[in-house]
Amino acid sequence: MVGALRVAIAEDSAILRDGLVQLLVDRGFAITGAVGDPDALRSSVAQNPPDVAVIDIRMPPTFTDEGLRLALDLRARHEGLGILLFSQYIETRYAADLLADDAAGIGYLLKDRVADVSDFVEALERVAIGGTALDPEVVTQLLGATRRTDTLSALTPREREVLELMAEGRSNAAIAHAMVVSEGAVEKHVANIFAKLNLPVSEKDHRRVLAVLRFLES
Amino acid sequence: MAEQAGDTGVHVRIRGKELSLAISEEHAVFLKSLTQRIGREPFTKRPWSELAFFLVSGGLAGIGLAFVGFTMFAGVVLAITFFGLALLALSLRSARGMGGWQRGLARSMLGEAVEDPEPFAGRRGFLGWLQSSLRDRVGWRAVAYFAVKVPWTILGVFVAVSLWWDAFACLTGPFFNRDGGGLQVWGLARGLIPGSQFWFQPAGFFHEIGVFILGAIFFFAAPWVTRGFVTVDRLLIRTLLGPDPMATRVRTLEYARTQTVDASAATLRRIERDLHDGTQAQLVALALRLGMAKEKLEGADTVDLDRVRQLVDEAHRGAKEAIAELRDIARGIHPPALDIGLEGALTTLAARSAVPTGITFDLRTRPTPAIEAIAYFCVAELLANVAQHAQASRASVSCAQQGTWLRLVVRDDGLGGAELSRVGSSSSGLSGLTDRVHAVDGRLHLVSPHGGPTVVTVDLPLTA
Repeated sequence: MVGALRVAIAEDSAILRDGLVQLLVDRGFAITGAVGDPDALRSSVAQNPPDVAVIDIRMPPTFTDEGLRLALDLRARHEGLGILLFSQYIETRYAADLLADDAAGIGYLLKDRVADVSDFVEALERVAIGGTALDPEVVTQLLGATRRTDTLSALTPREREVLELMAEGRSNAAIAHAMVVSEGAVEKHVANIFAKLNLPVSEKDHRRVLAVLRFLES
Repeated sequence: MAEQAGDTGVHVRIRGKELSLAISEEHAVFLKSLTQRIGREPFTKRPWSELAFFLVSGGLAGIGLAFVGFTMFAGVVLAITFFGLALLALSLRSARGMGGWQRGLARSMLGEAVEDPEPFAGRRGFLGWLQSSLRDRVGWRAVAYFAVKVPWTILGVFVAVSLWWDAFACLTGPFFNRDGGGLQVWGLARGLIPGSQFWFQPAGFFHEIGVFILGAIFFFAAPWVTRGFVTVDRLLIRTLLGPDPMATRVRTLEYARTQTVDASAATLRRIERDLHDGTQAQLVALALRLGMAKEKLEGADTVDLDRVRQLVDEAHRGAKEAIAELRDIARGIHPPALDIGLEGALTTLAARSAVPTGITFDLRTRPTPAIEAIAYFCVAELLANVAQHAQASRASVSCAQQGTWLRLVVRDDGLGGAELSRVGSSSSGLSGLTDRVHAVDGRLHLVSPHGGPTVVTVDLPLTA
């Protein structure tokens, strides 16, 4: 890694904001700004651009989806800026909005995930360098929401597990690690999945996520 | 009207007794305005539109009653057959419609805005329609209206309309009857003019003056008599053609229920917000710190104990804060104090209040739990308002039984000037209380003149 990754935080709960700052500083990140509302983050990002922004979805003034709109706005203005949305609940619709054009540099996690510090930091790093990090909950909801279960039922339980991990944005190596199998075995599963779901194979991780989500949303 | 002699007065001496009729300034002004009123009334628009309404609506009612009466009679006669029932239903439906015309006339000619009754809700299918029509209370009430209105109109024509007629007959008579013309007197005047045939044989100037004066009296009296008839008609329209009291009651209840549902939805939303912004965030921060501490302990051989201790310390504090917040939220959902009864709960509230608060409690019957909860929240909210806004030095709470009602009175000696819309915070303020109180058919009454004192009275049924 070339120097510390720079992170900006928008979170209206002061307790949580302080906790996040502590955690990230502790793990060697550089904090470019830690603020409590969307406008403050906009100016912070404009003045001192970070590699990735951690954004709470419910923020002032209406406490509904300010964070989501802020994220879409920042994506449009700052190319290559990673966005990690951070929320108490998972709304499938938000995920769909966010991933609509490109899943590169996008993360969507439940706030609970910070309790597993290493996983959280890993996800943040992945997003910062243009990868994807989706909460397992998002994946479950998307898998559950799809109506094309007939096609999905063609998958073996093992393949389904691989698909879920894949949808979270993990690489084959990470999937192999998580499932305690060899990378070769994972590659085979992935090839099977693509074959069964009739999807073209691609090199990049986030394209796989996008492809998987596109398929699930259809 | 024998009062003390004023500046203007009449003194009469009859058989040695002095009678004095004193007219004070006030009375003089009153009499003057009364005379003016009577003098001007026939030349204003109102009596004429009332007369027009009486004639037009009376005529329509006559046609309506004839039609409804005929169809209904035929319907009853033929009731054995299916056709009879359909005719009866049709009759009721048209009564409803013609009731609407009457309402419209009253609205446009009298400015009497009677609300439309609830619209006809026919069930599906012909049989459903038939049943709904035959049971249509609005239709039956319209029939009742026509049945009362028509005789009333006939009476009115004989009294009020004939008064107008006679007024004109008498006023014009002296000028036209010389040639045997003029209008025939046919109402009241017939009894009042000695020998009603009289003016066909003119009998002198003085008689004609008399007739003319009589006509003038009729002319100025007629508007008031007409108004009397129209007023009764207005009353009939309001009671028989307006919304059904029973349906209105149902609607009120529905409204109250909607409000209750809204109020509970708002409460749930508030609780969700409290949980989301407070407790959940606290717990996430807590988990975050414990996660960090755990990693530090698992990590390298050299554990930074000071840092770990600090993290655990912060987590510990966070946990305690989360517990306190949860307790507050839980108390907002159902006050545990109520488990020991309303008296204990209110006493606790009064004791906890920032303003010294005395309490009297006298209930012989225990209210239902819902009422106890509403009473509790009322007192809690009102005392919070006193502490926040009133700048009071003392407050008092009284809770007493009045028959089947519970009466809460919260009083403070503060600044006053409280208003229903302004007092309290937006969602949980006094207007929220009013909604809760109305939901159980209770009443909330606020008296708060500037300079105080403020007295809020809440009446709740003991059972709801």
